[in-house]
Amino acid sequence: MSALGVQRPSAVLVALVLAALVPVLLVGSAAAQDRELDPRVFEIGRELRCPTCVAESVSESNAAIAREMRALIQEQLDQGSSRTEVLAFFQERYGDWILYNPPMRGLNLIVWALPVVVALLAVAYVARLLRRWRAAADTAPDDVDPDDLDRVRAELQGPLGEGASR
Amino acid sequence: MSARLRRLLPVVAVMAALSGLFVFGLLRGNPDRDIPSNFLGREVPDFDLPVYERFVAEYGPRLSLAEVRGRPMVINFWASWCGPCYDEAPHLQRAHERYGDEVLFIGIQTQDRDARAAGRAFIERFGLTFPNLFDGDSRVSIAYGLFGVPETFFVHADGTLQHKYAGPVTEVILSEQIGALRR
Repeated sequence: MSALGVQRPSAVLVALVLAALVPVLLVGSAAAQDRELDPRVFEIGRELRCPTCVAESVSESNAAIAREMRALIQEQLDQGSSRTEVLAFFQERYGDWILYNPPMRGLNLIVWALPVVVALLAVAYVARLLRRWRAAADTAPDDVDPDDLDRVRAELQGPLGEGASR
Repeated sequence: MSARLRRLLPVVAVMAALSGLFVFGLLRGNPDRDIPSNFLGREVPDFDLPVYERFVAEYGPRLSLAEVRGRPMVINFWASWCGPCYDEAPHLQRAHERYGDEVLFIGIQTQDRDARAAGRAFIERFGLTFPNLFDGDSRVSIAYGLFGVPETFFVHADGTLQHKYAGPVTEVILSEQIGALRR
């Protein structure tokens, strides 16, 4: 504690805070390197997978290869390439894998069609359930067995039924 | 089977299918690396890269793929930080010694910006005698559609790709693929 009564942070605490700041500073410096890039680079980069990362786009990743890809996108835009042409450039080298929105053809159709098919099946199943419940509600009184009805009436008129009505 | 059990059966089946899918996803490893190259059966991209000092006397300061075409080629991409690259380097050197001038081996250090000193140390460590080049800005790595390092491309004499192998090559893989290139 200092003479003024203010507790000084321990060296360990300072070291921990600095260590925690290192990744933040690294990301910050990467962002600074990208500062000159056209916003369109990041729009296109969001449609491309980073080849060496897991579940990260070229725009999000701080990997060296993603930075090079962003620089390459910028160069192509500067040369007058359109978004479609830039995406086609990467698709030609990496295949459909590189695209976050795979083209609607071949096996890729499953990816696009499956959610729609599942949603339609779910709606059909719920509709069928609702129909069944409604039908059950409408027909319930007619479904009662006449013998059961007589038995219940007889029980209601018996000692227990009389006792209950008292 | 009671009516209640029969009603539950589809739910159990769906849950079992989803669980199976989940376990399959966990156990299947990294399938991205098994994706075949988009250049399969097509001509691989040309490049023109600086050559490491050790090979300049024989190949000049830069090496262009167009200049050396005409015989089967093994193009290996590596980086100084990549552990499996250290495992495969001795196999590549031995294969190079075995096939001599019949097959051209080219090493390309990539995804390894500003690491020329580390690249030099890598080449010295394994006594590599086939040309090694430096892809400082990883542009050749992008041109070849690399997912990571190491990756090795087996290229026919006419420049078309026979096979891409992702991961460290072994003597068996080199022997099989080079055998197919020479047929």
